[in-house]
Amino acid sequence: MRGTLWIVLGLFPLVDGHPTLKTNQNSLETADAALNHQSGSLNSVLHLDDTEKAALEPTRVDPAFPMKELNTSHYPATRAARVAQHYLNYHHGSPSKWFMVHDIKKASSEDIPEVGTKYHVQFSVQEQATKEIVGNCTAEILFRQTEEQSAPEVNCTCDDLLKIETSDADHALYHHIKHQPEPMTGMDIPDSQGNIPKEMEPFWYLGGIGASFIMWQQSNESTLYNMVHVHSVKQLNSENDLLAFDYVVLLHDMVSQEIIHWHMQVAWNPTQGVKVTQCHLLPKGTMKQPSAEKHKI
Amino acid sequence: MELGIQATCILILFPYLHSSKVSYEGIYQEQALKDYSYTRYHPMEEIYEWMDKVKNQYQDVVSQHFLGTTYEKRPIYFFKIGEKSDKPKKVIWVDCGIHAREWISPAFCQWFVKEILQNYKTDAKIKRFLQNMDFYVVPVLNIDGYIYTWTTDRLWRKSRSPSPFSNCTSVGTDLNRNFDSAWCCIGGSRNCSSQTFCGSAPGSESESKAVMELVNNKKNDILCFLTIHSYGQLIMTPFGEPGKTASNHDELMEVGQLASRAVEQKHGISYTVGPPSVVLYNYTGSSHDWARDIGIEFSYTFELRDNGTFGFILPEDQIQPTCEEAMAGVTTIVEYVHNKQFGSAAAATVALWSTVLASYLSLLVLVQ
Repeated sequence: MRGTLWIVLGLFPLVDGHPTLKTNQNSLETADAALNHQSGSLNSVLHLDDTEKAALEPTRVDPAFPMKELNTSHYPATRAARVAQHYLNYHHGSPSKWFMVHDIKKASSEDIPEVGTKYHVQFSVQEQATKEIVGNCTAEILFRQTEEQSAPEVNCTCDDLLKIETSDADHALYHHIKHQPEPMTGMDIPDSQGNIPKEMEPFWYLGGIGASFIMWQQSNESTLYNMVHVHSVKQLNSENDLLAFDYVVLLHDMVSQEIIHWHMQVAWNPTQGVKVTQCHLLPKGTMKQPSAEKHKI
Repeated sequence: MELGIQATCILILFPYLHSSKVSYEGIYQEQALKDYSYTRYHPMEEIYEWMDKVKNQYQDVVSQHFLGTTYEKRPIYFFKIGEKSDKPKKVIWVDCGIHAREWISPAFCQWFVKEILQNYKTDAKIKRFLQNMDFYVVPVLNIDGYIYTWTTDRLWRKSRSPSPFSNCTSVGTDLNRNFDSAWCCIGGSRNCSSQTFCGSAPGSESESKAVMELVNNKKNDILCFLTIHSYGQLIMTPFGEPGKTASNHDELMEVGQLASRAVEQKHGISYTVGPPSVVLYNYTGSSHDWARDIGIEFSYTFELRDNGTFGFILPEDQIQPTCEEAMAGVTTIVEYVHNKQFGSAAAATVALWSTVLASYLSLLVLVQ
């Protein structure tokens, strides 16, 4: 069955003549021609390359097969890839390493009756500290049809990603924190102007990695989450070799535009990675909003 | 001894200063505007002061006008930037700061004004723009909300008007759901505590009403309506309603793609082009949908940096690169729209020389 599916997918490029596609292609060409006629000087300017033309095309649907190829710049693909990003960060991120989806190469979805929708996404990944494009990942994201919110199931494999070596930086940070006389605390990361003091950056990353767990768990096909603010972070006492922190983070859901506050406790050491040990949603209005700095003259 | 030299210098220079029409006041203002930082975020009182300085320094091409008042009774001003003319001119509309927390947006409008005014005498393209068109620029539309993000809540989005419903105590309407375009049908909320509350009626908010009044009055002259937001790195065409496309959708997309290429050439940042209903989410009642509905052919929403790392709280060190790339994108669209209306500079030159040649030839014939 799987083999058949792969063969079918391989044959997709040979399928042509879909009426919706053709119409759009025609209207593109007509628009081009009309514009060329209007002004010769515009001719050279309006030539689109294949990638740009592809981006203008709608989703292809072939009713004989459940697999639907998605336009990689349209939101179904973007939202699914974001879930994979949150999953990746929670499992492989650290205070020195935070990943973003850089470019979605390919995306498709399949409706599984009485189960839900499964997305297949291929994307390149950028690491935030170094800004380097560090590798490519392939992910499957299953959004189950449930009445209550349930975490999407994610399978994600990446080439070369895990080779990024941050253990030196992580170990150095771990020892630095362990040997401080007082437990660390921080607030309002970043400040209103977007500044983050250098010494707070790892705690911003750590908050982001912990928040990735929450964002992964809370995602569905109608959400697109980002962490926009660390309201507070406070180091907790811990008896074992894990460092523990208490966070309040603000998440932004692009689709509803809402800002939601989550309280979480995060445990970390360089060998075991990041774990969210507890978290709960804070009701709206239970706490002061992030304060804006007084303006500088 | 030094004082004597200084006094002598002033005495010698005085007649020149007087005759060159550079007043002491003018020098003071020029220095003050020169010191204005376009790579920092400014609170509203500094933006009001900046507008004053700009309109005074660039009187030849800038005038400041009253658009309307906010809920909290603050004046909303816009600049009209262009060569003065007795005849009505075509207009490019650019507004910023409709959503309070999107600070990079007003920063961009200030940058945009600065770029136009610092370069219009030397840059042939901008010179032509100002000859043939007027730019109407609103640096901050949602002034009440913007001030609220400085004093109280950095992540506030809406206006600051109280709820129209007695059983709902939350404040604010989403101005970009308050426009009269399939108002509150989709992607907006009837719940006043929602971030996308559409208000009690289309144009119930004085801020959006002010935009609709002016833009509607000038709609036959407005070539392009641009509204600047963050974040998301998008160049959005109409419409937010799924399945609804503009009659010139293909052209809007192609010009959008041109703009996106120009953006990417600056700093390698990719901006996605398309209607919100496919690249973001479904919503109606937005300003750019309304502008297209009333017949303004080119209408775009820009969502500037970033893609979620910092979101609304974009660091100041990203203001310059963000504004540079947005400037490239906006200029591309403006240039296209301008050339479509007035012909390109090359075409204009050809037309001019053709006229000259034709006149010369007819003169020759007459003389013969």
